[in-house]
Amino acid sequence: MARAVTKQRKTLNTLVAWAVGLLIFFPILWTILTSFKTEAQAINDPPLFLFFDWTLENYGVVQERSDYMRFLWNSIILAGGSTLLGILVAVPAAWSMAFVPSKRTKDILLWMLSTKMLPAVGVLYPIYLLFIELGLLDSRVGLTIVLMLINLPIIVWMLYTYFREIPGEILEAARMDGASLREEILYVLTPMAIPGIASTILLNFILAWNEAFWTLNLTAAKAAPLTAFIASYSSPEGLFYAKLSAASTMAIAPILILGWFSQKQLVRGLTFGAVK
Amino acid sequence: MKAQPTRWLIWKWISKTCWSNSSTLKKIAPGGATPGATSGTVYGKVPKNWSGEIMSSTDVGTARTARGRELNLQQQRVRAAYMFLIPMLVMLAVVAAWPLFRSISFSFTDASANTIFNGQSEWIGFENYLERRVRSNGEVRWRGILADGDWWNAVWNTVRFSLISVSLETFFGLLVALVLNAEFKGRGLVRAAILIPWAIPTVVSARMWGWMLNDQFGIINHLMMSIGLIDQPIAWTASSDTSMIAVLIVDVWKTTPFMALLILAGLQLIPRDMYEAAKIDGVHPVRVFFKITLPLLRPAIMVAVIFRALDALRIFDLIYLLTPQSDATVTMSVLSYREIQQFGDYGEGSAMSTLLFFIITLFVLLYIKLGKVDLSGEKS
Repeated sequence: MARAVTKQRKTLNTLVAWAVGLLIFFPILWTILTSFKTEAQAINDPPLFLFFDWTLENYGVVQERSDYMRFLWNSIILAGGSTLLGILVAVPAAWSMAFVPSKRTKDILLWMLSTKMLPAVGVLYPIYLLFIELGLLDSRVGLTIVLMLINLPIIVWMLYTYFREIPGEILEAARMDGASLREEILYVLTPMAIPGIASTILLNFILAWNEAFWTLNLTAAKAAPLTAFIASYSSPEGLFYAKLSAASTMAIAPILILGWFSQKQLVRGLTFGAVK
Repeated sequence: MKAQPTRWLIWKWISKTCWSNSSTLKKIAPGGATPGATSGTVYGKVPKNWSGEIMSSTDVGTARTARGRELNLQQQRVRAAYMFLIPMLVMLAVVAAWPLFRSISFSFTDASANTIFNGQSEWIGFENYLERRVRSNGEVRWRGILADGDWWNAVWNTVRFSLISVSLETFFGLLVALVLNAEFKGRGLVRAAILIPWAIPTVVSARMWGWMLNDQFGIINHLMMSIGLIDQPIAWTASSDTSMIAVLIVDVWKTTPFMALLILAGLQLIPRDMYEAAKIDGVHPVRVFFKITLPLLRPAIMVAVIFRALDALRIFDLIYLLTPQSDATVTMSVLSYREIQQFGDYGEGSAMSTLLFFIITLFVLLYIKLGKVDLSGEKS
């Protein structure tokens, strides 16, 4: 009896959850579907859902208009580079905050939060001027550094919350056995925190990948990533929705694939890093 | 490996004490590479420290007693902690403190597109903020941002947007989290599908939604008309009555998943026995939700809300992309950007973002104080 009830409830749960999931996912699904239509089919009334002549024509046109691979490559370099740099700076810093706590640890956390209070618009021009002075405008190096700096507080914050979960006694034991600081961090702490570090890397890769404000304002042609690629398709008056959808699909495809394979890590990264 | 000698030198220079717990995997360092090993070949009864390393005379001095050794170790760790924190703090200063300082100083100048690059802008005090002008006929006029209707409109829009979006996102986030917390088939798949809106760039979601909300061809209008919610298509993003709603729809869609996951994490931390105990006592599920779930979720929600509120108060890209010219949605960030990009008025634009920064700071401090939010997450 009780079992039947739970089974029924489970079916109900499944239905509700899938409905919610579908509702939230629908806009993306719709965009992907549209990208395979012709322009005429895209604005057809009533809208066509599945029964239309699937075509790859839009993708060809988009690729011809702008070199997708170059944008993709820039995105990979920027997101990957800034994340790795950030991790290199953040792991020791998070170690300090988690295992050698002082009265200032809280102040530092608050200060890191304060970088999220800065309106990006307000700090854009000082950084823009600095970039001109240093000749970093529209360069991948400059943008990598900026993206790293922007995400650094989040990286440190996440690593700090992970590290705090690791019992300090284990590190102490390693020290008693004669591990140096470097060994303690490299061979004891890091392996134990690998899941947390992986989640942090993943999350920040996506954040850097999606960053548009800075990439659009600080790049022109050379270093422009995929966000600039999609932003270049801007005039909604010209009726090219199918092509716009194709471009959008191309811009989000890497994230969809990455997210798909690392869904578990990502969810854990989001949940445990940010809340606790 | 490379960094170690350098670091050691720095430490030595600072502390003038010896490195007593350095590389120990190799018990005797080759050719004096290990600090503290005065000679590569030492035989017989030589002083060794706790890691079995050969100690120099300074080591013997500092580590004679266990207490001294511990103290030395602790000092070293604290020093290391500072060394590790410094690069991060310097970088934070570069990305936060210095641009903020420059932005604030711009706000007291008449900097424009022409003068900002060659530094010829002049100090004009608070004129960008508020300025009292007496005309020749004795009439008093106020100028500056604080006397500007556009600014107060943007303030109102920002507050309105932040309040509604964060409330809706918290509410829906809680609902979705409760759904996801139940057991069902294909949980991983659904979770991934729900997460995706958050994981795609705003540039893309703004474009996607701009099209879906299109008055002529948009699917939203079509669906709403076919179920009889509206009689005729609505120009969602263009009309000043609905543009704020359009922005809210997209923002809620984009951010609810994020909120849901943060709350889900909180949900999963609630011990199961609590629910079981309530069940045995025959407590009604609704009561369980309000008496157990919600109070225990509070810390998670409070932190999630502040992170969201910070983003909402600063919102720029979604509004700039979805409803670029609408006065009904222009927020403080957008207005500041417009001031600079369109009118080249760096002084006033900077003054606006400075004001925004102080408004947000004030909000955060109040929130932390009144809400008793513990950011470091330590149970005190």
